[in-house]
Parts: sequence; structure tokens; C-alpha cells
Amino acid sequence: MKGPLLKSALVVIGVIVFLYWVLPLFTAPLPASLIWLYIALTVSSILIFVTMSASSLEAFMGPITRFLTGEGQVGIVRTVRIVFLVLVPFLVGWGTYATLAPSDEPPTENRTIHPAPPGEFVGLSNPLPNTPENITAGQGRYFSLCFPCHGVFDGKGPAAVGFNPPPADFKDSGTIAQLQESFLFWRIKTGGVGLPVEGMPWKSAMPRWEFELSDEEIWKIIMGEYAGSGHKPRTWEEEEEEE
Amino acid sequence: MVRDMVRRGFLLTVLVVVSAVVWASAPWSGSVLADEEEPAQEARQEEAVAVRLYLAEGTVPAEDPTAAAWAEVPVSEFRLSPQVHWPDRLLDATVKSVKVRGLHDGERVAILLEYQDPTEDAADAAALEFMVGDKKAHFAHGQEMLQVEGGPVNIWYWTHASGKAVDMSAKGFGTLKTQTHQDVAAKGVWQDGTWRVVFSRSLETSSKEQDVQILLGEWSNVAFAMWDGKMLESGEPKEKGSQKAVSSWWSLRAEPPADYSVVLYGFLGLVIAALFELAFVKKLKKGQEA
Repeated sequence: MKGPLLKSALVVIGVIVFLYWVLPLFTAPLPASLIWLYIALTVSSILIFVTMSASSLEAFMGPITRFLTGEGQVGIVRTVRIVFLVLVPFLVGWGTYATLAPSDEPPTENRTIHPAPPGEFVGLSNPLPNTPENITAGQGRYFSLCFPCHGVFDGKGPAAVGFNPPPADFKDSGTIAQLQESFLFWRIKTGGVGLPVEGMPWKSAMPRWEFELSDEEIWKIIMGEYAGSGHKPRTWEEEEEEE
Repeated sequence: MVRDMVRRGFLLTVLVVVSAVVWASAPWSGSVLADEEEPAQEARQEEAVAVRLYLAEGTVPAEDPTAAAWAEVPVSEFRLSPQVHWPDRLLDATVKSVKVRGLHDGERVAILLEYQDPTEDAADAAALEFMVGDKKAHFAHGQEMLQVEGGPVNIWYWTHASGKAVDMSAKGFGTLKTQTHQDVAAKGVWQDGTWRVVFSRSLETSSKEQDVQILLGEWSNVAFAMWDGKMLESGEPKEKGSQKAVSSWWSLRAEPPADYSVVLYGFLGLVIAALFELAFVKKLKKGQEA
């Protein structure tokens, strides 16, 4: 008698275990909405299956009906039934409360870290030759002006701690290694206040260096940053090759 | 036979729908099935991102930064940087971090800053900064942004020499000015290398264009600045003007009083579920007898 109900429960549990814990071993975890969809499909398939005949429905529903009505129950099963019947309304009440209770967490901010630069900066390339002299000159400026926040190219300068967002870590493979020199030129020249709205310019402490540095000095600093961090700028040629 | 089957099918459907609703509305489903994990609560004090102004029992201790009531208020600590964003810069500021506590009583708000400064000097100073209105403002005095139209900032500036706070406004460098209408009070006490400065004001004011309006339950922004006014041999204070310890924006909220209507809705949900369950079991029993 316990056959169809137990089997159905095992199938549903099996699907949940597979989707949540087995599948992520081989691929990226599925989005919650997709997992919900698969579980709903499994449950509705089971329902269609058990409602195909009166006898299969009776076999499926029998144990549920007997559990809920308490027919002929004694001992532990009796207690479980009472606990279950009391618990369900409390869960609904708690769930209603949890859904309606206003969140007291600060608003989350989806800040775009590398937003698109304005048109006038796109495609610019470093006009200076990549010579040891230029790199040394750029690094000299770097250590007097950029080091307080960006540190030894690792974003951990002594003045970095109070700022949110934190200064960029140039050694990280996700920062200047992914960017073209023109992007760095834009970021250094116009600073945090040059960011578009998705970059949240009101939070950035990056100075607007165009007031204090010439273009030539900025290009030298960029060379110094790439040399110091051990990365190479992305170029148009590379991207064309990749394509 | 067919009628019985229809009845059972109907009951089964009801059972499934109820189970699904219970499962989906249960508090665990948010954490188990959500795409992203909730941020850890215990991190609040270690790396604070927000100042919470808690609802005080009684009046806020706005006059006394050493009042015993402050010890009960949870602390948010923020690290500070020397101001390196615009000239004149400073490469090493005395104040490294600030502990912030806040209380309100529905009318007035009091914010206590506590920070280490080894010497008590006449030129010591501290300030709070807020965005004013709906437009975002740059934390450096509402400095002009190139692609975004910014708003003004409201600055509450306390100096030890004057023993009080000045209510100020700015929208860009060089625009800092004292407001004609002063709303902010402050009192500082230095003891054993620690400054405790309490700022207070009414939650809302009449000058909405110049003053931050602190609305219960709504998030806004706050930033901090401290000056070590220790006199150098040159006769100038170590830190003044743009040379100070600063933070960028963090979040701020005045906690609203508990909303019991939500508890009522929860209770209503409980009652409805219980009644429904009762009717459902009764119907099942009836069917069994038949």
C-alpha cells in the first residue's frame, strides 16, 4: 500500500538532490527559477500518473488520507499527526510574517566596475614609445601620486582603508590586464567624478588628475603601471586575432 | 466510483496547492532557493557599512557624549583615510577609524562619534556629511561630476575651540558656506586620548533644500571627517581644511518603531490556515465514512 506514495516522494527528493548537489559537481549551479520549474514538472508528472485510474489514486491517496484523519492511529504516529497539524498553520503564519516584514538591510548597490568610456576616449593609443626611461619616469610619478591608495600596484596603499569602493588592484587579473590603455587614460584623467551613473561616481575617491597632470605624464604612468604589475594592456590587434 | 475519483482528485489537488504555498512562503525557502546568499549579520561590527539610529527609550542623550545610555547602543566602526582626493592632500592622518552610535526619539536625532586622538587641541574638529535631496552628491563636498547631475551636501562641523557645531552647505569645491538657519548642536569631551563628540538635530527641518531630512525607515548616506589640531612647530595645526581624515559614503537609517501590523497579518495567516486545515480534515473524515 505504501508503494506509490513512497516512490513518488523518493523521485521528488532524488530530483532535488540531483539538481542542488550532484549537478553543480559537473557544471555551474542552476538558477533557482529553473530548479523550481524542474521540481514542478516532476510533481505534476507524478500527479498525472497517479490520477490515471481510481485504484492508483486510491493507492496514492490512501496513506495521506489515513494519516490526516488519524484513522486507527496509536503511539508515535498519533503524536506526529498532531504535531504536523499544529505546525502547518504556524508555518503559514510565520511565512506570511517573513514575506511582509520590511527588510532592514542597507540597499544593495550593483556598481559597474568597468563602465564604457565616453566616445572621445575610445581607441586612443599611447603616443609615447615604451622605453625604460618613460617607464621609470611614469613609475616615479606613480609612487608619489598613486601609491598612497593603489600601493605597490596591489591596491593596498596606506591611504586605501577609508574608501568604498576600494582602490583597484592592478596585479589582479581582472583589472588593467583586461583593459586597453585608453580606458586607463580616461580613468586617470577624469577620475571618479568622470564615471557614468552606473559607476556611482559619487563614491569614488579617484582624483580628477587632468587638473594636475599633463596627458604625457598620464601616458607614462600607464606604462609604469603595466610594467610594475606585470600585465600587458589589451590591444585591438589581439582582439582581432582572437576573433 | 467516478464521483469518488473526482472527489479524491479534488482533495489531492488542494493538498498539493496547500503544500506548495506552505513551502514557498516558509521562511527557509528564501535562503534555500534564493539565487544569492544573504549577507552575514555578524559582520556588521567588523566591517560596518551602515549607521543605524536606534529608537531611544526616553529622550536622546544629546547633551552628554559620556552618558551611560550610549554604552547600550550598538556600534558601527568605520576606517578612515588621509584626504588624498584633492589638494591640499595629507598622507598620514592622526585619526584611523571612528566608532559611530546613533539614537533618535522620533523628534530629535543624536549621533555620537568616538575616536582616538592622543592630544586635546583647540583646533581639533570633527564633521558629519549628508546628501541632501534625491540627487546623489559626491562625498568630497558635493564636487561636480562630469556625467551625472549631483546634489548638495549638508555638513555638521564641530570645533573644540568654539565648543559647538556649525550647520553648513556645499555643492562643489569652494562653495562651503555656513547656513543662515542653524539647526545643529554638538558637544565634545576629550578623555584619555579619546574624543567623544555628540551631534544632535531634529530629524526633519524646515529648510529642505539645505538640510538632510532623516525620515524613519528610509536609507540615506553619511560620511565622516576628523581633524587633529595639534600645533606644529611652524605654528600651524597638523591638520586643517582639506587636510583631514575622511571616509567616503556609508549608509544611514533611523530605525522606525516596530510595525505590529505585520505581526497581525502573520497571525491572520495562521488562523486562516488552521480553519482551512480543520475543514479539510473534516471533509476527509466524511469521505472515509462514506
